[in-house]
Amino acid sequence: MKRWMDWLDEKRDTIGEKLSKKEMKLPIDIVTGVFFLLLGAVILLIMPKQVPVSDSDVINGQAFPTLLMAVMMICSGVVLAKELYNIFVKKMPPAMKNINLLVEVKALEILAILLLTYVICRVTDLFVVGAIFCSLAFLIYFRCRKLSYYAITLTVAVLIWIAFRFGLNVNF
Amino acid sequence: MLEYIGPALQHLFTVENFLWINLGVFIGSVFAAVPGLTVILCVILFLPFTYKMTAIPGMMFLLGIYCAGGYGGSVSAILINTPGTPHAATTMMDGHPLSQKGRTKAALKIALYASTFGGIFSALMLLFLGPQVAEIAAQLGTAEYFMVCVFGLTIIAGVSGKSMIKGVIAACIGLLISCIGADPMTSYDRFTFGIPRLYLGLDLAICLIGLFALVEILAKAEKKPGPLLLDTKKMNDDGKITKEEYKRMLRPTLLSSLIGVMVGIVPGTGASEASWFSYDRAKAMSKHKEEFGHGSVEGIAAAEAANNAVTGATLIPLLTMGIPGDGTVAIMLSALMINGLNPGLSLFTTQGDIMYAIMIGLIFVNLFMLFQGSFLTKLFAKVVSIPQEILTPIIVLFCFAGAYSVNKNYFDVGVALIFAVVAWLLRKLDMPPVPILLGMVLGNMTETNFRRALLISNGSPAIFVSSIYCIIFVVLIVLAVATLIRSKMKEAKAEGKK
Repeated sequence: MKRWMDWLDEKRDTIGEKLSKKEMKLPIDIVTGVFFLLLGAVILLIMPKQVPVSDSDVINGQAFPTLLMAVMMICSGVVLAKELYNIFVKKMPPAMKNINLLVEVKALEILAILLLTYVICRVTDLFVVGAIFCSLAFLIYFRCRKLSYYAITLTVAVLIWIAFRFGLNVNF
Repeated sequence: MLEYIGPALQHLFTVENFLWINLGVFIGSVFAAVPGLTVILCVILFLPFTYKMTAIPGMMFLLGIYCAGGYGGSVSAILINTPGTPHAATTMMDGHPLSQKGRTKAALKIALYASTFGGIFSALMLLFLGPQVAEIAAQLGTAEYFMVCVFGLTIIAGVSGKSMIKGVIAACIGLLISCIGADPMTSYDRFTFGIPRLYLGLDLAICLIGLFALVEILAKAEKKPGPLLLDTKKMNDDGKITKEEYKRMLRPTLLSSLIGVMVGIVPGTGASEASWFSYDRAKAMSKHKEEFGHGSVEGIAAAEAANNAVTGATLIPLLTMGIPGDGTVAIMLSALMINGLNPGLSLFTTQGDIMYAIMIGLIFVNLFMLFQGSFLTKLFAKVVSIPQEILTPIIVLFCFAGAYSVNKNYFDVGVALIFAVVAWLLRKLDMPPVPILLGMVLGNMTETNFRRALLISNGSPAIFVSSIYCIIFVVLIVLAVATLIRSKMKEAKAEGKK
């Protein structure tokens, strides 16, 4: 087990070292403006199919979401226009956000643990099995070597299940 | 009012209620003391436990967490110069320097006393102002209610992030999410994409687990897990506060409590704004300005009194109009409504005994916070040192179990996961999550009042400026937007100079 964890940590270190140097620059305001402008347009396009209305309605169910999307698109337009004005008229560099690849890969690792926990809980229909997997996976993710931490976390995981199952009557 | 006090006290004085208050205060203090764990996260995680309780113990438990969160953040701010909660950043300015002078216990005591004073002052304000505001709120019509919602959303959009426009976009997303499910007026399904489960809409607690709790787990990718050691040996000073210091604390504590109440009562604002504003005021009015930033007792007292004075005040718009004063009390709304307590004047008349029990209970929450803070602060500091490796999976399991227990199905856990991913992506775009929360909470009320008002006026938008209350709110919205834009421009200029 120890050897396997050493091997895993070594692999993660090698990949991590490579990824930590890779950074992506995101023109944050341009991306925000374009993304929400498109999102607003898509929602307005699907609105007739997704929100049925009756001809007799004076103010129908589409009125409020349409108003919201209009406000959102105007705001996105303002964000975009402000940024383009800064770039082309004021000759300023666009607002950038650094995206570190290592951080994103780590976030994906965590997301994978969460998704697997969800799948295990759903397939087995036993929360406690997913809980044990989740605890072990996070301890390995954090490179924990202390046996006492494993014992404590697993005990707490089972206790959480017991509290919900028998204390709150949640049948899972 | 007096006719409700007797029955309210009977409801309140039970062993069960006092146990829940103390448990809430303890959990809130510990959560707030851990940097990275917020009070809002704590309330979300423990909300499912209140589903099985009646209104008073459920609210007492959540209020215990909420109020203690105001003080708990100062523990790590004073001990390790890292604020446990965002508003504790103000306390840190003077709390940590005072600790470095060898007066850690004194700094913690000042924070605790000021917090308790602010909290009790706020609870009394709630007790006396709540019913009056409810009476005024009862006179508001649909158009006025819509304007109140817009006002709250404008403020929260303005103060939540760096950009007000991004805040407005976030609020629109929250409002749009609230549109998912049955149309509140016609019952036609909207944005359900053929998924029958969506007909009842998305449950607020489930979305919040994703938006505020699980996203923090994803954010662990950004931080290197290191041991958080709060050195309790530092707390070995006598903790003595001199008469002179008590005298100096008095004015900033009183003034900051008042500021905290005024800030808290405005829908959408919160403890951070109150703390910074009060700190600045205290500094401007102090005879010892030079001490600020170097361990000023006035600075600690001002910041802590203000952030706890917000707690009762944020409940005023929540209980009277259903408009939460800040993000945390927005979650408490579901704990109230699950027990059939719908905000408004009727809450203070037909269910006056329960309401007064909750409001008087808030005073006791603060007293128990003082009691626990006096004797258990060392223990809070030790619990805070729980390693991330153990804490992270525990939070995840609470999130999963909490999301599942709302409707007892795994579909909701999936929804919480989707919201976590969306929140992670929005974080990358610097979009604040709190306006989304407020949008979701206020969505139904905003839309229903918007449509009803237009129905009354036969589609004419002139109804939104037809009464004196509407005009007052229009003026307030314009003033708020102008002030917010001005302060954002000042901030941008200051950053540019740096």
